[in-house]
Amino acid sequence: MLLTEMRRRYSRRDFLRVGGMSLGGVTLPQLLGAAPSSSEISCLIYFHTGGLCQHDSFDPKPEAPREVRGSFGTIPTAVPGVRFSELLPRCAAGLKRFSVVRSMYSLEAIHEKAKQYAFSGQRPNNAYKHPVYGSVVARELGSRNGVPPFVVIPRKDICADAGFLGPSYDPFIAGDPSKEKYSVQDLALPTGLGLEEAQGRAHLLSTLDARLESLEKSGVVEGMDHFYQKALDLVSSPAAKRAFDLGAEPDRLRDAYGRTTGGQGALLARRLIEAGVRLVTLFHTGYDTHSDNDKTNGKLYPEFDQSFSMLLEDMESRGLLDTTLVLAIGEFGRTPEINHSAGRDHWPGVFSIAAAGAGVPGGQVIGSSDAKGAEPSERPVSIEDLGATVYRKLGIDTHKEYHALGRPIRINDGGQPVRELFA
Amino acid sequence: MRVLRSAGWLVAAVWAVSAHGSVRIEPDGIRLQSPGQSQRLVVTGGTDCDLSSSNPAVVGVEADRLLARSPGRARVRAICAEGSGETAVQVGETSAEVGIGFERDLLSILTTKGCNSSACHGSPAGQNGFRLSLYGSDPRLDYDMIVNGHGGRRVSPDAPEESLLLAKPSFRIAHGGGQLMTPEADEYATILEWLRQGSPYGAAGIRLERLEMHPAESVLHATGSRQPVVVVGRLSDGSTRDMTGEVRFSVNDESVVAMDGRGTVRAKGPGITTVMARAMGKAATGQFIVIEARAGSGFRHPEPANLIDGHVFQKLKSVNVEPFPVSDDRTFLRRVYLDAAGVLPSTDDARRFLSDPRPDKRANLIDELLDGDDYATHWLVKFEDWFRNSQYYSQGRTNGSFKRWLGDSIREDWAFDETVRSMLTAVGDTTVRPAGNFWHPAIDFMLKTFEVEKAVPTITRLFLGMRLECAQCHNHPLENLTQDDFYGIAAFLARTRVKHGYGQYRRIWYNDRRGEIEHPVTKQEVAPRFLGGELAEIPDGADRREVLADWITRSEQLQFARATVNRVWHEYFQRGIVEPFDDFRSTNRATHPELLDDLARFFIDSGFRFKALHRLILNSRTYQLAAHTPGRPGGEHPLEDILFARYVPRKLPAEVLLDAISQVTGVPESFRNYPAGTSPKELIASIGATHFLTTFGHPRRDIMEARSNAPSLGQALHMMNGDVLAARMDADGFVVDELIEQGLGDGAIIDALYARAFARKPAAGEKSVLEAYLATENDAGRSRRQGLANLLWAILNTKEFQMNL
Repeated sequence: MLLTEMRRRYSRRDFLRVGGMSLGGVTLPQLLGAAPSSSEISCLIYFHTGGLCQHDSFDPKPEAPREVRGSFGTIPTAVPGVRFSELLPRCAAGLKRFSVVRSMYSLEAIHEKAKQYAFSGQRPNNAYKHPVYGSVVARELGSRNGVPPFVVIPRKDICADAGFLGPSYDPFIAGDPSKEKYSVQDLALPTGLGLEEAQGRAHLLSTLDARLESLEKSGVVEGMDHFYQKALDLVSSPAAKRAFDLGAEPDRLRDAYGRTTGGQGALLARRLIEAGVRLVTLFHTGYDTHSDNDKTNGKLYPEFDQSFSMLLEDMESRGLLDTTLVLAIGEFGRTPEINHSAGRDHWPGVFSIAAAGAGVPGGQVIGSSDAKGAEPSERPVSIEDLGATVYRKLGIDTHKEYHALGRPIRINDGGQPVRELFA
Repeated sequence: MRVLRSAGWLVAAVWAVSAHGSVRIEPDGIRLQSPGQSQRLVVTGGTDCDLSSSNPAVVGVEADRLLARSPGRARVRAICAEGSGETAVQVGETSAEVGIGFERDLLSILTTKGCNSSACHGSPAGQNGFRLSLYGSDPRLDYDMIVNGHGGRRVSPDAPEESLLLAKPSFRIAHGGGQLMTPEADEYATILEWLRQGSPYGAAGIRLERLEMHPAESVLHATGSRQPVVVVGRLSDGSTRDMTGEVRFSVNDESVVAMDGRGTVRAKGPGITTVMARAMGKAATGQFIVIEARAGSGFRHPEPANLIDGHVFQKLKSVNVEPFPVSDDRTFLRRVYLDAAGVLPSTDDARRFLSDPRPDKRANLIDELLDGDDYATHWLVKFEDWFRNSQYYSQGRTNGSFKRWLGDSIREDWAFDETVRSMLTAVGDTTVRPAGNFWHPAIDFMLKTFEVEKAVPTITRLFLGMRLECAQCHNHPLENLTQDDFYGIAAFLARTRVKHGYGQYRRIWYNDRRGEIEHPVTKQEVAPRFLGGELAEIPDGADRREVLADWITRSEQLQFARATVNRVWHEYFQRGIVEPFDDFRSTNRATHPELLDDLARFFIDSGFRFKALHRLILNSRTYQLAAHTPGRPGGEHPLEDILFARYVPRKLPAEVLLDAISQVTGVPESFRNYPAGTSPKELIASIGATHFLTTFGHPRRDIMEARSNAPSLGQALHMMNGDVLAARMDADGFVVDELIEQGLGDGAIIDALYARAFARKPAAGEKSVLEAYLATENDAGRSRRQGLANLLWAILNTKEFQMNL
């Protein structure tokens, strides 16, 4: 069984190379009693689609004029001297669990490009589309425990895919778990079809397929076979079903996360990480506040505050935080000055992110922005730096190159891991 | 011209080596600068060879090399058991150094290594006190920063190797950016040589213009056989230099060959690989094919049907790989319907073809298909991929007009050079002058302005098969493609403008009277210039784009045709004769250069008619070869697929698969806002394509990227559990209901389903398995209909159904 699985996972040549090193499923480091390898680290990205406003979240400017600081007040946090927006009381109280970078910047101001940049750590260009982190992780580390390596909640984002690596490394789409009748698309058998009946026809399928498989040993056929096998495993595996089944969580906990896309999405993300998914991205939308900034943020930010702080608390109590890098990021920030529609526009100049877990020390504020929250004033951190941090945490060589489209393509363009995020 | 001529050189030089067994001595045209220099030689096509010089006082011969003794001319001859060959040698009087300059050589290294990217030293604050201009936009400043900054420690004239410029990126001293090059790297050697020459800004001395590897192609027998290779540099003063000892070799596929020491290639296992030699920012490649001894004697191949087969079979013979036999009629039938028309043959189509006794029935069927509407509808989707007809750019308002226009061009088989001219020179409102939609992908989505930088690489890649994207920011590290080339082409588009009509969805293209392009480095106005450096003459008042269109479709007609036929070839064979199919470079070799040229000339002679090209390809035995033959599992031997010894099975594209599912199940797809029975190929916008289409690889078309047909988990799950099959099984007209209605028995229903899905009868073993399955379903208490529906589910989920074989 193991051997056939291994054969499925690696092409012949890879198999020869890898086969010599693996001993009955035990990796060499495990045999030698080494620390859990960094490939055991997972990653959860809580994404603010549209861009979190730095002023209304982790980097308030109470001293700035009203058209800059906005209408929300500030509150102290668990770290003396550090203040957050009053919209994030629970994050403020839980700052010991995570760190904030106040000096992130991007170079793209259009959603599509900026998201692609933030998802991949590589600035978009006209020549090719770079795979996002999850796709690189899927490609480099593969799947674990029979669940897909890269899952997106709730919906596909056209900027978050495998680019030139191809659809084999695209994310698995989980759907919106806050919906009344939540189910994962195509994961459940069609209505009225029993498991035994489904397995029967799948067995017939494998019999019919055997003819071609004996004639054709190409990568396409092996790849299709691989994914059919994975799909069957997923459909018939109680573990996979359980991972997506929020009904298995106590109502009290579901309430504590909040019965919102952010809340239930974060809870689902935690379950998926527990089940072995390597990278989960939760898209929390609505941050594009070109008008009526206060009205939107007054409602949206508390949703983030509740779900994100609950997520960290829950993951910590389950010991998941030790092995999971949790990031809260957006594609850019919002303009320092409030516009004529009482909104804030796109602002890549500076913005704030939060990071926790996988050895990220809590309670730090890294870098700072200027008095208006317009530019980094200390310790600028680039998108590439963040990318290098993600790869370093996950144990992927930041200097790795893919050879695609007739040229070498680095997975990370010279970013430096943010050293403060490593204990 | 330079670039294209070097592409021509690539094409011309490759073929001859082992095909005819004639003795060749390489390199030819040796011109050594002065006495004392030497040149290694390599002899191919002969054994037991003796080298001799016609004038030993000028040129002496020692083992495998010649030595320049005094100025003059001589010929060196190789006399072998099989015959003889000759090469001419000239010796000059004085030698000169090859110069390395900052602007020309060092900047390109800094850019390709990412040193001056926004994340590193190119950021506004630099890194660690070392700041460079972003992508080398200000070379003078960068030069000053490197040569004079930091107390001069970045360059050490007395001890070049101690310079920080080398010590940091090679990580001899800790470097925040990590190790970017080893002391063995070509870039390291180039920087070192520059330092030794005194770190000049501009290059002094002569220049290395080109590297060549000899032999450029070689066939080796598996395990252990060896081939010496020689690398010669062609310098700007017309002289040559033996650079075999100075280049860095790298092997693309190390399972095929390895380099033994300096300049010997050793065969390791069967396959085909490129070996690259690099020095001073130039590269040369050689192609090495390693073959196995094949059991049995003789070499069988089908009777060639046209020029394609001649080239393909000759090449296969030279590497001793027999082509697969020609496919049977049923296989061919299904294949050619899917490839040429994007649909499955109906049961009637199949019966008519299979019972047709005429010997030329395949050719007749091909003619029929190419004249049909399905052909145009099917290839239109490919055209839309190529030309990126996407709602992403035009908000859906003019995708329809562009689609109709492209569709007409295919259906009516317009001359492609004229179609391209129409697009390149389009003006006016794109709702009524659809050719202008070609330019839409170069409109900035937010700013609504025309971005020249996006249009340039699109044009060169689509019409010349050349990728210029890199050259926007830096000179290509290995090719003669420079920023000057990029902006020279951009200058043709400097006066192209777009304005937005009402509702901002209407796009109107026009030419401004003025407008120039500024070179990002020199800050000078750039004159319109063809690739390779020739300046364009623009008649007064002319649209510069007309001059560009003339150059592409007339002056560079052969390359234009090569790029186009290679793109079509790629659709049929899953790889180009040059692969990637739109990446013609001197370092990217064609597998069949003569075939490519013959196809290109054929296409030109046909008047740039696609139907003629399709007809030629589809009628070739090469296209009609079987994908499988007993005893030779497909996909195990890379050479078979690379050299077109068989038909390579491929997944059906999203639209074709969905149409095939509709055909077999008898239930058409319905799309919102489209009439019932609309094919997914007829949808007008690509954003908002259905879950099925995007999951199966329908592209966004926002960047130039070939559509991927890789399998995925989402595809498998959707076919297993998704609506695409489940909903059809409950729909009116579902094929199983129809067949039951007709009163057919299980055996006949199975036959009918097989005919619809696979265009074949079930094999005896298959039929008994299927009947046994139906019996089990019956035993489990399920209805006959449900059992048959499940059986059809299995058929539609097979790889055989989802692929073209």
